[in-house]
Amino acid sequence: MVDVVTANNRRNFRPVLDGMHRDRKQVFVDQLKWDIPVVDGQFEKDQFDNDDAIYLVATDPQRTRHLASVRLLPSTGPHLLGDVFPYLCEGEVPRGDDVWEITRLCSSPARDFDVKLVRRRLATAMVEFALLYGIQRYTCITHVPYLSYLLAVGWECEPLGMPQTVGDSLIGALSISITPATLQLFRQKMKSRVPVLQLDHIAHAA
Amino acid sequence: MSSFDEIQQFVQAANRVTEFEELKNLLGSTVRSLGFDHYALFNHIRPSTSKEYPVRLHDYPDAFGELFREKGYLHDDPVLVACQKSAVPFTWEDVPQLVSLTPKQKEVFDAPKLAGISSSFIVPIHIPGESTASCTFAMRLGRDFPKTSFPAAQYVSCFAFEAARRVSQRMVTKKGRVFQRAVSPKLTRRQLDCVVLAGRGKSDRDIAQILGISNQTVHQHMEDAKRKYDVATRIQLIVCALFDNHVAFADLVN
Repeated sequence: MVDVVTANNRRNFRPVLDGMHRDRKQVFVDQLKWDIPVVDGQFEKDQFDNDDAIYLVATDPQRTRHLASVRLLPSTGPHLLGDVFPYLCEGEVPRGDDVWEITRLCSSPARDFDVKLVRRRLATAMVEFALLYGIQRYTCITHVPYLSYLLAVGWECEPLGMPQTVGDSLIGALSISITPATLQLFRQKMKSRVPVLQLDHIAHAA
Repeated sequence: MSSFDEIQQFVQAANRVTEFEELKNLLGSTVRSLGFDHYALFNHIRPSTSKEYPVRLHDYPDAFGELFREKGYLHDDPVLVACQKSAVPFTWEDVPQLVSLTPKQKEVFDAPKLAGISSSFIVPIHIPGESTASCTFAMRLGRDFPKTSFPAAQYVSCFAFEAARRVSQRMVTKKGRVFQRAVSPKLTRRQLDCVVLAGRGKSDRDIAQILGISNQTVHQHMEDAKRKYDVATRIQLIVCALFDNHVAFADLVN
């Protein structure tokens, strides 16, 4: 099951969110050596982990362990592509109520669970979330070699600009279209017709 | 047209492709407008043991393709190994740094120049759970790389390979069965002898003694055989050889 964590229900997910920031540190800072801030020597957190951020988090049934997660940010507010990497877009940075940014897609480095299955569930959750909340496009920034994997998973990607070298990697901005067909494809790959998103814990400001 | 316009057009066209011929034409014209001379889009599967459809698209001159096929270069191409070792693109010149070339691999490494190809830019394609693939952008003798097109070439590789995957999946579904398999790697008599003995649990030393050759030679035979099958361990090699009927269970269990 994948939970939707917002500013309003965050307090119910403390241990999971701590686990998420710890795993993000291990993956992005320790393994991938990204030059991003670390808090208290153990948590990877930056200015975009704010009140507008919504996290889709795959957890264990007890909801104490972070298994995988993704951070979603509205394009109408501060976000990575708009604020830090606008030059990756050939034209204007896509903005609108129906455009959200995907960042920090991360799975726990612990290998005592079915990573492939959890990743599929999280991807399906991202599609379900988009359809429920009227999101037509996700934008994201990716290392170019990773693009083949994104395409193979089934995401409908379109480049937003030419890829650029940042540090010693080539990265590019993508727009990912979400339609009901996307959900059908992902459910087919998961061989399941049951929603993955856990909806009873969501609380939003009116 | 700006390079971004070209890439956008390529992506849209690639998404509409339904047959390999269409993809070949699209790749050919795009690659040339980016300033390269030839392309090759291959996945590195072991034809006899894989359920994946072989993707073998290229527009090299016929003579070059013939040479490769005739001499069995496909299996000894050091680019296959280099791609497994690199997540990022590299050029032909980089290959000896990524792979310590065996004599056969050196032969393959020197071959393109003889066929009029001076160098190539190789983009590895890694999809977890699937065979490694690569998209190569080659230059004829006397022509320099259009280096400013390297980023575009990487996007072309990803979208082209995804189109090829999509077409393959349709072909498998259309035919309703696993497609026709290509010829399995050929092991020499000596390589087979070593594999059989290894399958019987013999160490390199034992094998060397039994066959009357040196330890080093045995090791070389095993390495060559593993490379032909594109596997990393002896166990995998033995299983592949069994699968291909190069070796029978009766040979091993006796």
